[in-house]
Amino acid sequence: GDALLPAPQSISILSTNMKHFLTWSPVIIQGATVRYSVEFQGEYEREYANGSWIPISECSLTTATVCNITEDISATVAYKLRVRAELGATRSRWATMKGFFNRVTTSLTPPVLRVLADGYHLLVQLADMGPALQFRVLYWKKGQESRMQQKVVREVSSLVHLDTMEAGAEYCVKAQTHVEAINRSSSFSPTQCVRAQGDASMWL
Amino acid sequence: SGELYCSLPNPRNVHFESINMKNVLHWSAPEGTGDGVLYRVKYAVYGVGKWIRKPECRNINRTWCDLSRETSDYEEQYYASVKAFLNGTCSDWMETTRFNPLTDTKIDPPMVRVSSTDKSISIILTAPEKWKRSPEEVSVSLLQVYPGLQYNISVLKKKTKKRWFFSISNNTLVVPWLEPGTAYCVSAQIHVTTPLLDSDFSKEHCIATLKDK
Amino acid sequence: KIFHLGACRVSMSMAEIRAGFTAIKANIQSRDPIRTLSILSHPHSLHKVKVERCCITHHLFTFYVDKVFKHCKTEDSFVNRKISSIANSFLSVRRKLGQCHEQNNCVCGEESTEKFKQILANYEGLNVTTAAMKSLGELDILLDWMDKS
Repeated sequence: GDALLPAPQSISILSTNMKHFLTWSPVIIQGATVRYSVEFQGEYEREYANGSWIPISECSLTTATVCNITEDISATVAYKLRVRAELGATRSRWATMKGFFNRVTTSLTPPVLRVLADGYHLLVQLADMGPALQFRVLYWKKGQESRMQQKVVREVSSLVHLDTMEAGAEYCVKAQTHVEAINRSSSFSPTQCVRAQGDASMWL
Repeated sequence: SGELYCSLPNPRNVHFESINMKNVLHWSAPEGTGDGVLYRVKYAVYGVGKWIRKPECRNINRTWCDLSRETSDYEEQYYASVKAFLNGTCSDWMETTRFNPLTDTKIDPPMVRVSSTDKSISIILTAPEKWKRSPEEVSVSLLQVYPGLQYNISVLKKKTKKRWFFSISNNTLVVPWLEPGTAYCVSAQIHVTTPLLDSDFSKEHCIATLKDK
Repeated sequence: KIFHLGACRVSMSMAEIRAGFTAIKANIQSRDPIRTLSILSHPHSLHKVKVERCCITHHLFTFYVDKVFKHCKTEDSFVNRKISSIANSFLSVRRKLGQCHEQNNCVCGEESTEKFKQILANYEGLNVTTAAMKSLGELDILLDWMDKS
């Protein structure tokens, strides 16, 4: 039966930039390969589907002690997660993570960006951080912070045009990650400044 | 006419191919049947109680039938079906999956017009039009069908091979302060967020800024 | 995306819901053999009826949460997971619509009430599993109608 096999312990979730992973500590049985199965339950299942649980097939009978639950945590509600150990026909009891997980609590890191001046043009290149994220880019002419402008950027890895710069002027850029689905943003990246070609007198 | 005993293999892969809501039914001939197979087509508006025959596609030997006129109301969804006939016998009616013109069409890239001065290029984009019954009919731009439609534009400076990206909601873009006497190539794509529809990028339109006066 | 439903403003991850539905659309619609009947579009398409958008949206999200999703369990684990994703998203949005309703920003006129009665009648005219699966297969009719706002 089930009672012989201990249930997994230390169940927790690592969630960064809208990618969510369930982890647990391994069940050690000398000379045996223990496998694990994971199930999730959203608020809908608790309130409208008799508290039913839904298996995550990619994490059924897995030997890993981590499961990518991102695809299934795809609504902004409270989820419960559980995992059990299996060894042949023997199964542990389900170990349910304490409390709930809501993706609104994911930790958001500032974007990695590269700022370029190409002639008189201010450009930014943002690293890809996953499909759920977009970026709020702020840019301004140095010394004119009050006239800061904003652009929401979805393209990643490409050189995105922000604005045209005055000759010889220095422009600064910073950006934050933004997730529309949970309406939250990261802290800002460090500010980067670049200078437009030419010298300021060209504009007189 | 009473239904014949239908022992002919069925038409295969019956499906809609839709571009800018020009909705054409396509299928493959039944397996193992040579020439001489004829087809009949019918369609139904989902939720409405009757199948309607398409007279222009009665006893045809080609394997497509333009149902754009019959499926032009993109607020409805449709099924279509094909039956094959050969030497006095026939196949079953073979249906498409449910066709939703709004989400199941493919959008062409926008039309791109580019002009230049010595230091700038101007780009004017035009979204494709929805298929229409006749040239006289009032044109409907896909911009009206998809209110959230946006344009992604790529500008390549040929000399340095640097490519810049722009995202705009209106249909014009001026890129100022460029290098005189330099070739730039522009390509544009349509992006609709919901329903999620992206056209391919248009072919590149290259133009050179005028030489410095 | 922010939906302006009359005086009610509701943010909703429409792209996520559409992605979930698109992933199972063919599977779900293939389980609905009845071409000649629609839950949402009979006798008149949602698009062609003059209704209060917030009222009908609130009614329909409640309809799907209360009546539809729970009767759509399939033998396919992938489909069940996508249905759960949509159901939990609907629950989240339905809560926001409920707040509008409580603040009297979601008034129902006669035509909306009539249209929703018709939808319930269409639903109850079929056995529950058939009706639920057909309703789930028509989700894009609701989403297309909402996107038009």
